[in-house]
Formats: sequence, structure tokens, C-alpha cells
Amino acid sequence: MSKKFIPIVLGLMCFALTYSICIQMKTVKTLNTTVGQSYEENNLRAQVLKMKEKYENRQADLEKATELLEKERQNATQNNSSLEEMERQIKEGNKLIGMTDVTGPGVIITLKDSTINPATVLDVSSLLVHDTDVLSIIGELKNAGAEAISINDERLVTTTAISCGGNIIDINKSKVGAPFVIKAIGLPEYLDAISRPGGYFERLEDDGIIPELKKSNKITINKYSGAINFKYAKNVE
Amino acid sequence: MIFIAIIIGCILGAILGINAPTISYMYSSYLAIAIIAALDSVFGGIASVINKNFDLKIFISGFFGNAILAILLTLLGQKLNVDIYLAAIVVFVWRMFMNLGIIRRYYVEKWSGKLENLANRKHKENNLDNKAQKN
Repeated sequence: MSKKFIPIVLGLMCFALTYSICIQMKTVKTLNTTVGQSYEENNLRAQVLKMKEKYENRQADLEKATELLEKERQNATQNNSSLEEMERQIKEGNKLIGMTDVTGPGVIITLKDSTINPATVLDVSSLLVHDTDVLSIIGELKNAGAEAISINDERLVTTTAISCGGNIIDINKSKVGAPFVIKAIGLPEYLDAISRPGGYFERLEDDGIIPELKKSNKITINKYSGAINFKYAKNVE
Repeated sequence: MIFIAIIIGCILGAILGINAPTISYMYSSYLAIAIIAALDSVFGGIASVINKNFDLKIFISGFFGNAILAILLTLLGQKLNVDIYLAAIVVFVWRMFMNLGIIRRYYVEKWSGKLENLANRKHKENNLDNKAQKN
């Protein structure tokens, strides 16, 4: 009796074993962890990953809550024309201040640090993409009529600050590293003017940074994930 | 029979595991040590089948008991700031090698015995042929 069960049980055990090995491998792969040198280092890395996970969970909760709010609002304003008009205004306002996902034609600019050997250059710093480069490009894009801009999925809003943070750039108080993918919605032909002779791209190319510009008919820019709060500015009565 | 079951189990597990969702990072270190414990149990099971002293109850309780004990030890180690899981890994891997040695010895002896039998038979046939030719 029990002899018949031996292969079945062993097979089941092997099944459970390979199943969990596959899950573990996938988990390790997605987290892209490497084995650290010391216990301390591993601990710190684990803490960071835990925090990240918590953050992502909260973010998902927030998204769910926002969806629910949207639904409730729609239900509440369905049969009332004045409320519907207000709802429309809110949506329009949110679009203007960057609180909604927007889509449209535009350009995608990719900025990578130069691949030139640093030993051959007098000023190594010129090989890197700096906050000033990003700021200048954003200025040019705005001059060319860009309506919505994001850098590595950080939406530019009215309160956005872009500053140098060492080997990264602080945008909207979150840390963004190279390569920078700048998405801008506007008329692609106008936005393309940034690569004109004498434009900012030419200056970057002089430093050995080769920017890539791709025109597209459909770009989606995510909404700003934070909240915009004015502390000092008040409405004029 | 046993090996067919093991192979089918492994293939099914791999197919389902690839499509399974990933787990939270918090639990991945516990799962890792549980995997090592389970692997040890499976090798132990195969070795005991070969020794013909396989007991289903002992095997199943060992499979789960070892995994749970290893997880608890890891947990305790994290609370005490000592890498106890290293000790568990050393013991499990050591036992794995022992069991692998038993399995290997059994099959090497079995196959080398078969080869010797074959060689003996050929030798005898040759002798018979030689005798026939002489006669």
C-alpha cells in the first residue's frame, strides 16, 4: 500500500521544490539584487527594498482610492447640469496644472552621459549631463510651445524645482539619474527646433554628449504624483 | 518508477513556477532556506529508497519539519543579529552530499556489476569458441 505512494509523494515534493525555486529565482531576478560584501550592506539593501515595497503598496492604494473618488464624483454629478459643468472645469484645471495623464503628439529626447574616455578630456565634468543642461533644454522646449513635459516620468508642474544633487538630479524632490528621457507634448516640428544649428543640442555635442530626439504622434505623459500646495499665494479678493 | 515521478514533478513545478507571481522580498530569504531544507529532504528520501528503509511518515515530517525549523532559525538569527541560517545551510548541504554519495555508490556498483557480468559472459563465449575450434 505505502509502496505505491512513494513515487507519488516524491513527485509531489519535487513539484513543490521546483515550484518554489522558480518563484525564488523570479523574485531575485526582478529585484536585481547582488550579494553584498558584508552583513551590514545586505541589511541596508534589504531595508531599502522593504521601504520601496511599502511605498509601492501605498501608491497602489492611493491609485485605487483616486479611482473610487472619480467614480463617486461621476455618480454624484450625473443628473445635474451645473455640477457637470463644474466637474468639467475641475478636469480642465487638473489638466492644466499637470494632475492628469495627457497624451498627444510630441518628441522624446534621450540624454546620456558621454562615452568619451575621461582620460582624454581636460574637464571630466563636461562629459556629464548636468541640471543646467536639463533646464536649458526644458527652456527651449517651452519656447517652442511644449504643453506638457516630463523627465524620467517626473511631470513638470508649476512648483517643480530642478537642482543638482551630486551625481543625480533632484526633480520634484525625487532623485533622477542619467539617462534622462525628456518627453514633451506639442507640435513636433516646432519642438524639433532644439536640434537646429546653434541650438542647445549643438552645445551638448561639442561636449561629446550625443542627444537623441525622436518625433512621435502619440506620447503619453503621466500625471504629477505629489500634491501641489500653495503656502503663501492667496487669491486676490 | 521513482525517477519518472521525480522528473514529472520537476517539469510540472518548473512550468507552473515560471508563470507564478513573485513573492515579497521580505519572505524571499525564508523561502530560500526552506528550499535548501526541502532539497535535503528529497535527496534523503531518494537515498533511503535505495537503502530500502524508506518510511513515508518520516519523509513527510522531515520535509516539512526541516523547512519550518530552518525558517524559524533564520527568523531567530535575524532577531539576534547572528547568521544562524549559515549553520543550517552548512548542515543541509553536507547531508545533501552524504546522500548524493550513497546514491552515487549504489548506481556505480550496480552498473559496474552489470559491465563485469557482460565481460565475463563474452570471455566465456570466447573460450567456448576456442574450444570448438580446437576440437
